[in-house]
Amino acid sequence: MQNSLRDKALTEVEARVLDACLTQATVPGGMQLDVVVNDTLYHEKKRLETDRDNPRWEEDQQFWNGIRTSLAKSNDAGVNKLLRKIIRRYCEEIRGNFSPALYSVATKVLPRVLPMLLNAVSPKRLLSRGLPDISDTIALEGNIDAIQACAKRGTVILAPTHVSNLDSPVMGWAVYALGLPAFSYGAGLNLFSNPVMSLFMRNLGAYRVDRLKTAPLYKDILKEYATITLELGEHNLFFPSGTRVRSGAIEQRLKLGLLSAGLRAWINNLQNKKDKGRIFIVPCTLNYHLVLESETLIEEQLQREGKSNYIRTPDESYVLQKYIRFSSNLLNLDSRIRVHFGMPIDPFGNPVDPETGESMDHHGRPIDIERYVLVDGKPEHLPQRDRVYTQRAGEALAASFLKYNVVLSTQAIAFSLFHILRARHRGLDLYRLLRTGDEGLGVSVTDLCDVALATCKALHARSERDELRLEPGPLSGCDAAAMLQSALRHFGSYHTHPVIVRRGDRVFCEDMKLLHYYGNRLKHYGLERELAPVFDAAAKAGAR
Amino acid sequence: MSTTQPQKRAAVFGGGSWGTALAHLMALAGADVRLWLRNEDRVAEINTAHTNTRYLRDRQIHPGVVATTDFAEVATFAEVIVVAIPSSEMRAVAFQLGQHVRGDQILLSATKGFETENLTRMSEILRSETCCLKVGAISGPNLADEVMDNKPAATVIASAFDEVVAKGASLLAGPTLRVYGNHDVVGVEVHGALKNIIAIAAGVCAGLDLGTNSLAMLLTRGLAEVSRFAEVLGADRITALGLAGLGDLMATCSSPLSRNNTLGRKLASGMSVAEAQADSVKVAEGVNTTYAAHLHAKRLGVDMPIVRAVHALLFEGHSTREVLTDLMSRANRFEHTEVEIDVPRLIEGSVVESALNIRAFDGRRRS
Repeated sequence: MQNSLRDKALTEVEARVLDACLTQATVPGGMQLDVVVNDTLYHEKKRLETDRDNPRWEEDQQFWNGIRTSLAKSNDAGVNKLLRKIIRRYCEEIRGNFSPALYSVATKVLPRVLPMLLNAVSPKRLLSRGLPDISDTIALEGNIDAIQACAKRGTVILAPTHVSNLDSPVMGWAVYALGLPAFSYGAGLNLFSNPVMSLFMRNLGAYRVDRLKTAPLYKDILKEYATITLELGEHNLFFPSGTRVRSGAIEQRLKLGLLSAGLRAWINNLQNKKDKGRIFIVPCTLNYHLVLESETLIEEQLQREGKSNYIRTPDESYVLQKYIRFSSNLLNLDSRIRVHFGMPIDPFGNPVDPETGESMDHHGRPIDIERYVLVDGKPEHLPQRDRVYTQRAGEALAASFLKYNVVLSTQAIAFSLFHILRARHRGLDLYRLLRTGDEGLGVSVTDLCDVALATCKALHARSERDELRLEPGPLSGCDAAAMLQSALRHFGSYHTHPVIVRRGDRVFCEDMKLLHYYGNRLKHYGLERELAPVFDAAAKAGAR
Repeated sequence: MSTTQPQKRAAVFGGGSWGTALAHLMALAGADVRLWLRNEDRVAEINTAHTNTRYLRDRQIHPGVVATTDFAEVATFAEVIVVAIPSSEMRAVAFQLGQHVRGDQILLSATKGFETENLTRMSEILRSETCCLKVGAISGPNLADEVMDNKPAATVIASAFDEVVAKGASLLAGPTLRVYGNHDVVGVEVHGALKNIIAIAAGVCAGLDLGTNSLAMLLTRGLAEVSRFAEVLGADRITALGLAGLGDLMATCSSPLSRNNTLGRKLASGMSVAEAQADSVKVAEGVNTTYAAHLHAKRLGVDMPIVRAVHALLFEGHSTREVLTDLMSRANRFEHTEVEIDVPRLIEGSVVESALNIRAFDGRRRS
């Protein structure tokens, strides 16, 4: 977002949030201003007890101590002033910066730097093929025309799945490669801890989101900021899972904050008769054969830690050695990150015809969506109604994530092997199985290929019903042996322990947690139930 | 200077007993009501004599109810549309509605049933066949004849949207009808549909003169299995204890005015299913619902002995006596957990205690 627009947005946020605080305080049961200040103070002091690594801890501590002292001696006017001060501070915290010069450099350099980052250029590669091209590394596919058309017709909320810290630069490049203007983006503070990433994040329009800040006032400010940027016609990028998915599965429980901001912005524009066009939500899936931080993520998932909280402990994405290993794997394995764009939906969850920008019902009949928000003939906000609308949009988005997920051969093999082992050790609960592993028994290549083939066929049936996408190559060709080969190559090289290895005619799992993590990507398609007899048969055959 | 309130408007699809009663109630509460039905003779009768003798005998319908066969006129007449047609026709009518309605309209289903194949609820059909998002359901202990006789009653309007509940209540609530809102659409619809199965069983029970104890057993165990099924589909447990759960069940199972209950009585008197159905002009939704619930209970892993029994009676040619014997000879169970009483129980977390329990059980059996 251009700095002039950003400043305008922040001034508007301050005015609106303060006005909202004053308005709600006038009705019986509303929070008086001193209560709002106290409540925010409570949340901040609580955060500061645990957030001692924060570089701004000292400064924050001073600020909030000052608020506490002043609050005790303030009259009504004084409380009002304190509230303004808090709102202004939050606004200052979240503001990003947009440097046109850096953007110009970044757009020229990024296509070269990003593949180098992702591919960790090896001398072998430089000699054989020269500098890597980014399109060798990231494949943009799906309904690309649709997102481009929507960006021309109105404002786009791009909503990708989220598995890795690499998602942000990958999406940043994708947006640029599609010829779209820079998107406004709320980035978690973890992305600002990496110095290189931070430089780009700070100066390319990203605004800062501190997930440890739980004060309702802070959340209101963030949401209002997003609302105003959308009202101004700024495209937004938003990860609906809120944080990287720990389990490896496609996210189905979404945080709906920015989706509701989209609806609110659209109603505001209708009320103010501002013709900024419609708001379109474009689902997008990011598909990796190997996930940079998978070891930490699944560990966190299993320990029930950091479910939705931002984890401050550095993970693999900050360990240079790991980064390089991950990157060279991408290159050596000719492994592409697949960014798949889905069909747009409106803020009510209805499908949109990208050519006309019209919303459609399930039978393809056009819908006049303005009518959804009319009260006595005028567009109005009704928060309870709008929350249900956003919930519906969230459900449609979650369904789109499943539909536009590109299943990769590595995931199909991980899923097949994991479930054979699960069937073999029925007596063990999941956590015991993950701890004890398969006790070195392994599965014969023939059995694994048979199960992988059955998985592959079940995936094909779903692909024909338009319920998911399949990666071109061995998976779409139903070549189980080639799928296994690809999985062995991918899983054998990057992780601390190879996920699976082949010894003779048997395949062994060396890291059950990661096998579970990668196989989880096929959760939510009902494959477990359908293929249960196949898994059981393979487990029995193995036992014999 | 006097200001006049704009006239409230409502539209009803379906001129059966419940559709007509709802139209009458809304007219009674001051709304201008359009009622759509296919039969021209009945349209003429409602508009001239203000009766619907086929379904409601000589009960007088409020003159504010105007019947018509013009589908488009009714679909575009009001902001709130109530749909009260048999479940088997719901999808076709909803699709036709989809050609006319707009996003600001509210659709309320007053039909209690499922679409057999996928167990689709009626409000889900309205949602999927039209552009309307603001949908809901009306359910509760509301026997149409009693409502037409202006006897006090209460009903539930269920919707995720407060706006739907509020607008529905403003149209329906009156001196003889109280309206309660509920956000648990799944629970309200599932209980409303499944209670019809229990009502058939209750009719059999009454027809065979099995007494009050039997009826009480049927009602409570029926409610238990219906609520288990509803919960699996995503309903809130507490809905079972409300008007749309227990309330509706009590009304339907104890009143001879209930069409499903009546069907059960006829079966008990020795009529075949076909004869009993042909003997009534009103559709007993419980028959289709029994088929659907029986079909899906196994898939969902829900034990439904009463549904199985009614299914055996309706679709498998079993006699009432056989069905009753089967039900009564089931193993004794713990009331809440459904665990059988006469089997050794494993003690969670202790193999030793489990073994002790098994040995004690064996000892008891031997002695």
